[in-house]
Amino acid sequence: MITHDVVVVGGGLAGLMAANTAVGSMDVAVLSKLYPTRSHSGAAQGGFNSALSAEDSVEAHIFDTVKGSDYLGDQDAIKVLCSEGPEVIHELEWMGVPWSRKEDGKIAQRPLGGAGFPRACFAADFSGHVVLHTLYERALKLGVKIYSEWYLLNLLVEDERLKGLFVYNLATGETRVIRCKAVILATGGYGRAFAKTTNAFANTGDGMAIAYRAGVELADMEFVQFHPTTLYGTNILISEAARGEGGYLFNCRGERFMSRYAPEKMELAPRDVVSRAIFNEIKEGRGIEGEYVHLDLTHLGEDKIKKRLPQVRDLARRYAGVDPVEKPIPIEPAQHYSMGGIRTGLNCETNIQGVLAAGEAANVSVHGANRLGGNSLLETVVFGRRAGIKAKEMFGETDWPDVPGVSLEQAAEEWKRNFGSSEPVTPGDNIFVIREEMTRTMTDKVGVFRTEEELKEAVEILGKLRKRYKALKVDREGEPFNYQLMEFIETGYLLDLSEIIARAALRRTESRGAHYRIDFPNRNDQDWLEHTMVTRGENGPVFKGKSVSITKYRPVERGY
Amino acid sequence: MRLKLYIDRFDPARDRKGYKQEFKIETEENETVLDALIKAWHQDPSLSFRRSCRSAICGSCALLINREPRLACQSLLKDVATENSLTLEPMAGFRRLKDLVVDLQPFFDGLKDIIPWVLTRSDYNGLMSPEDMEKIEKPATCILCGLCDSQLGDRRGVSPAAMVKNVRLALDTRDMMGIVRLQLNQRYPEEMKVFREKLKNLCPKKIVLPELD
Repeated sequence: MITHDVVVVGGGLAGLMAANTAVGSMDVAVLSKLYPTRSHSGAAQGGFNSALSAEDSVEAHIFDTVKGSDYLGDQDAIKVLCSEGPEVIHELEWMGVPWSRKEDGKIAQRPLGGAGFPRACFAADFSGHVVLHTLYERALKLGVKIYSEWYLLNLLVEDERLKGLFVYNLATGETRVIRCKAVILATGGYGRAFAKTTNAFANTGDGMAIAYRAGVELADMEFVQFHPTTLYGTNILISEAARGEGGYLFNCRGERFMSRYAPEKMELAPRDVVSRAIFNEIKEGRGIEGEYVHLDLTHLGEDKIKKRLPQVRDLARRYAGVDPVEKPIPIEPAQHYSMGGIRTGLNCETNIQGVLAAGEAANVSVHGANRLGGNSLLETVVFGRRAGIKAKEMFGETDWPDVPGVSLEQAAEEWKRNFGSSEPVTPGDNIFVIREEMTRTMTDKVGVFRTEEELKEAVEILGKLRKRYKALKVDREGEPFNYQLMEFIETGYLLDLSEIIARAALRRTESRGAHYRIDFPNRNDQDWLEHTMVTRGENGPVFKGKSVSITKYRPVERGY
Repeated sequence: MRLKLYIDRFDPARDRKGYKQEFKIETEENETVLDALIKAWHQDPSLSFRRSCRSAICGSCALLINREPRLACQSLLKDVATENSLTLEPMAGFRRLKDLVVDLQPFFDGLKDIIPWVLTRSDYNGLMSPEDMEKIEKPATCILCGLCDSQLGDRRGVSPAAMVKNVRLALDTRDMMGIVRLQLNQRYPEEMKVFREKLKNLCPKKIVLPELD
């Protein structure tokens, strides 16, 4: 049996920040399904929000975030996020992050959506990438043990207490048990539940689904962010920095249509507003070729694009065949981020002792119903650090848990059920077909605009897919680099999460932030100013409400 | 377009040596080699290859495409296919684990040869000029894909990717070693010159190292 004091699952920004903070007096390991530098944090382009300058203030950052969240964000958590921001940004600077600079040598900042001030610290449009690599360098320095290409399979929980982890080594095809005092889940989002997503293939919501299955509470899963500007067709991310640097959105009539939806903030309205606006333009016949709109950067000039948006230019040229210096970029909204996740307290702890979570996998909740650009990267480092600190404290306080018993037997039995050669219920069925139908369903019926009818259809389809899924097996046990097996397991996670998302969306009969119900177009604070909590019941997810932390800002109408 | 893919397969549990498997794939305009690989995988799910971001930022899908070192997700089929056919092989220079998957642990371990982190000067005052930062910007876009190591590494000295990182660190005005770091590369100036030239043509992030020696 392998033992570590603390195991961090996920090698992205939140995971590495947590591991680097916790390591020292304790033995800390990172378990990553990729090599850590391959984590999807590296694809983040825009920046890290933080009130650094004298003209800006932490209070203004808090207010923008609360308003951006459509008043569903917990104000105590948002205060932590915004207050600790400046310190963490400077900590990263000292570690060696190459932040872009102003003429006076200070850290440069750019405006992103929904912010009243240029607040996002960046490194050109490689912001996530450079911080990810800096944190990886730091992990090497600090001697964090890294298990690359290992997968978490089960949290071994008995009597509401974590006993250990059941894990899988992709290179050998073998399962192992890790005994540990605490686990920090930093596994990111579930973007691959959707056909149209900016997310990497790795983003299959593993931590959320595994935690849910082990009795950990999830929250606010109906709130799914759709990024307004992804390349038409491939859905490769074009950073909000493109609009932050001054880019415009145009419809087929050449109108800057955002004037209709957010006359003040225009293109820099929050993402939920901009994504709805784009789909509305397309729906009302003002899309280009009926399918997309244009993101125009041509007026910014070659020099600015080269300096500030080199990756955006490269991506548009390569994958859309358009040089943004010369022509506008065809874009459409696509799934991008999960506001919901593993419900945690301010110190990243969950309802199960020994299980912590941070980053996109977690819901603390700083984003509420809609996340502002630049706040998720900040969340990863602020709450990653807090998770590390909490793990350190717990290490001092708690004894080692008993060696896993019943939970391990169950996990091993479950694992065996993945293999075999029994005939699928539907002849010719396979995991790729099921995955395709699931992602189509989520994009078509659980997207930006939702209705009771479509959500019910989605729940029904997902239920049928689950039955077909259960009848499938994988026939090559113990084989190295068995990506079919991983696809199979990940699809199981995504089916669980998709059902939760669809059911939670069906349940919330109002519109708030990124959750928009055509049949209930208004926000309803009377009945719905509450988090959606979900736990696993005998017959699927069980939902209940939970009050929102409102410490200062009473909900008012949200206009931009 | 109908494409013939010849993918080099090798399963250490079964095969005596690698062999080419032919796949016939229907492709669309603007698809990448990664898109084609995924279609091949759907035909034969036992095929192993790494991928993740599909936008040339994670560095997972480095391999040989018609013998050229490239990222699968960054290579458009129309740019690399010859007579509607393509040959895909694992990166050279690394131990092969299965099909297109090679052992990258020695590659990542090799970074340690150059003290791969900024050794921040105690008198750093929090200021850096935009010009100084711009010098770091490009080398800091290295995605550690391994292509330079596979082509230019000799498996003995400091690895090419470690040298790139070392140059990035040497240029960082916060670093207390600064330019002295370059000695860790253990290369003569002429060797560095050759390396810079070769890297320019090979690196998928088009990293061009400045002349410092």
